[in-house]
Amino acid sequence: MKVWHFSEQAYHPAFETPGAMRVTLPARHCDPVEAGRLINRYLDEYVLADELGFNIMVNEHHAAATCMSTSCLTTLSILARQTKKARLLALGVPIGNRDNPVRVAEEIAMADVISGGRLEVGMVKGAAYELFMSNRQPTGFMDRFWEAHDLITAALSNTGENFAWDGEHFQYRVVSLWPRPIQQPTPPIWMTASSAGSAAEHAKLGYVCGTFLSGAVARSVFAGYRQAYLEAHGKPANDDRLAYLAVVSVANDRKTAFARAEKMKSYFSTAARLDPQYRNPAGFLSVKDNVRMLRAGPNAVRPRLRDGSPLPSDPTIEQYIDAGLMFVGTPDEVFQQLKTFHADVGGFGNLLMMGQAGTLDHQETVENLSIFSAEVMPRLGSLSVEPPDVRYEAFA
Amino acid sequence: MGSEAPIADLLSHARTIDVRGVSMEMVVKGKGPPLLLLHGMDGVEGAAALIDALAQNYEVYAPSHPGFGTSALPSGATTVDDIAYTYLDLLELLDLRDVVVVGFSFGGWLAAEILVKDCSRAARVVLGAPLGLRTGDRRTRRVADIFVLDEREKEARMQHTKAAPIAVAELSDTALERKMRNTEALSRFGWSPYLYNPKLAQRLHRINAPVLMLWGEEDQIAPIAYGKDYASSLAAASFEAIPQCGHRIYVDQPAAAAQHIHAFAQAKI
Repeated sequence: MKVWHFSEQAYHPAFETPGAMRVTLPARHCDPVEAGRLINRYLDEYVLADELGFNIMVNEHHAAATCMSTSCLTTLSILARQTKKARLLALGVPIGNRDNPVRVAEEIAMADVISGGRLEVGMVKGAAYELFMSNRQPTGFMDRFWEAHDLITAALSNTGENFAWDGEHFQYRVVSLWPRPIQQPTPPIWMTASSAGSAAEHAKLGYVCGTFLSGAVARSVFAGYRQAYLEAHGKPANDDRLAYLAVVSVANDRKTAFARAEKMKSYFSTAARLDPQYRNPAGFLSVKDNVRMLRAGPNAVRPRLRDGSPLPSDPTIEQYIDAGLMFVGTPDEVFQQLKTFHADVGGFGNLLMMGQAGTLDHQETVENLSIFSAEVMPRLGSLSVEPPDVRYEAFA
Repeated sequence: MGSEAPIADLLSHARTIDVRGVSMEMVVKGKGPPLLLLHGMDGVEGAAALIDALAQNYEVYAPSHPGFGTSALPSGATTVDDIAYTYLDLLELLDLRDVVVVGFSFGGWLAAEILVKDCSRAARVVLGAPLGLRTGDRRTRRVADIFVLDEREKEARMQHTKAAPIAVAELSDTALERKMRNTEALSRFGWSPYLYNPKLAQRLHRINAPVLMLWGEEDQIAPIAYGKDYASSLAAASFEAIPQCGHRIYVDQPAAAAQHIHAFAQAKI
């Protein structure tokens, strides 16, 4: 089992500001000196995570107090140089929102060479509301996404002559990566899914498939992936193709772990603070999906408790644990919770661990990561066996 | 389901027509000289009351624009400029002459895009609160951004008449699909630049038929000042402000709109 430390790198002082945390929150609420202090703190925690044997995951959002990383690859460029061993995962780059896919490929290649071939790249659809910031066309979004994907992978895997690209959405006279990436044909590619159908698409491509805070839905996502992988590749998928993201709070005593989990819980409450009209930009979802969503109602997408009822709007820590969104307690308790969940969803080889979330402070994060590394991580090998680590092909 | 009855009645007058491979839904109603009605953001169904009023004096042709209602989207169409060509094909196919061309809101923009390309089949043009010219300057918006208004506020601003709240659960799949398709098409053609074509202003001089512009005095989407500037960029336009009327002129004042259109179409100019 690979464990990846992840923080959304929130500007948590803004949590006190009433109203939305995304899209509409005015920039005047941001003190840039404080922002810099916080980002440096989160980077320190990432560097510590590297030393403690974690891999590293970063994400990006825009116009959001909940996430100050506005570019995965900018953040990872720093960590490429400041870390030694960790795999560095961008999960992900919202390529349907980017104007310039070749620029994305250049940034991937640069971070990959600086890190000595430790980069992993998620290409994600991203949250729907990001379209209000990128202002890219909502209709035809997935067509553009896949053309960007094809172009980025073509650029990364090109070891020969330069080429031109004349697509529906993007046109280039010269595509030429200097530097080109160390890892060939591309750094490992990840995608995210919250349904069996989308997981099946990723399986056909053999990409790593992550699902975030989805609880029991992870079981159908992973099953969809495994079945499609077997059909497409004629062999079962290794656990390392699957990833699950959750919040983890571990301490030497249960009371401390729960107190910290309460602080981390503000991740959930603030992430949800978005004015409703930004949730579903016109033309982003297909007509069919929109009709289905309207018919299903708002409860359809809520994670479920073990008894099948929807997670309430302000759940307790126990309910978050029950739903599989948080793993909280002593090392023994956290291991048991992970073991149960792992078995429930049919196994996965990557735990994307929010080791920092919400208002959890630096010292608490350091303890959380340190205790997890010393007392939980060594036991996870029994859940999921890692295949041999192929770093990159020497004779590509 | 009561709110769907007028839609069902309107659509009973709809036929499907193949326009050079593009399947278009078109309501045809009434007897008299031909009138092409180009609907607004809410689809042809939104204009049901006005179509009824106009059908007293005209043979009204009211298609669903490509991508709206059940009309197909021509391959590769992403702009109003693109679908204007579909309408030129439609007018040729139907061989309509001396047509009264009427367009509201989004359909007013579409009318302008059609007529700058070929105005030869138009006898008179009536534009009701048309969009299509710059909807803002660098830092100021003139036309309200409907893509960032919540559904209730958007509906409240769209029309002067108090709108009945839409209960999704009570809509049939067909009505819901039409609504979603209309929204999707509006996003396709109007997301960015926001409901305008930067090139349209330089082309407007090509509209050489007499133009009447109608505007709701209480328009909370495109303010009347936007309309007056629009009218002044169309050399021969006359301008009528309609009281007690918002952006959906065809919902708020269908009878007054029909009277204005008929009077203008008959007037000697």
